[in-house]
Amino acid sequence: MSNQPQRTRFYRDKVNGKFMGVCAGIADYTGIDVLWVRIGFLVLAFSMGWPFLIYFAIGMLADKKPPRLYVDSQEQKFWQGVRQSPTRTAREVRSTFRDIDRRLAEVEQFYVSGNPRLSAEIEKLR
Amino acid sequence: MDMELLIPLTAVLAIFVGLPWIVLHYITRWKTAATLTTGDEALLEELYQLARRLDERMDTVERLVAADNPEFRPARIAPDLETDNQKLRELDRLVAQQRGTSQ
Repeated sequence: MSNQPQRTRFYRDKVNGKFMGVCAGIADYTGIDVLWVRIGFLVLAFSMGWPFLIYFAIGMLADKKPPRLYVDSQEQKFWQGVRQSPTRTAREVRSTFRDIDRRLAEVEQFYVSGNPRLSAEIEKLR
Repeated sequence: MDMELLIPLTAVLAIFVGLPWIVLHYITRWKTAATLTTGDEALLEELYQLARRLDERMDTVERLVAADNPEFRPARIAPDLETDNQKLRELDRLVAQQRGTSQ
């Protein structure tokens, strides 16, 4: 394995967490707001009991989130999208490339057939 | 057949056949689901970073061209354009007319 930490794994987020960082880790993994994850966990845990066991199991087993896993929040959002649906994210990246291609074609069109060359030649003839 | 035999039989079938069936079904579904390998992940990461960099470069190029040539207008989705607003008003009018005639 490379030294690059994997982005598609589950990590517990001890830094942003309250206790062991499992809820914060789930929030970071899925992109759901951490408050809702915590409320959902507490409701389930107090109504059934066994989620506490699962919480401690995950808290013991899961690795801590490596520091500086994402450069910025845009990148974090991107990887949350990848974990939800890699196909959709790949399509989004493709659409970004198409958008750049279109914009570049516009600039090219402007320089090839557009006014700058014509006005330069008129300027030369004067 | 009487009920005393039917109920335990259903329960045994449900627990020893139905339940493992469902569990194994979802396990195979989960195993065959498309997953990203480490190589795929690295490729996706690279493509994403490249797209972001190119997007920023394109912004710069468009700004430079627009600064040199005031007549160059990059076609962007901009909010509150008069040309769009005119069409939207037309649409609003037509929708209102349609509602008026249908009622």
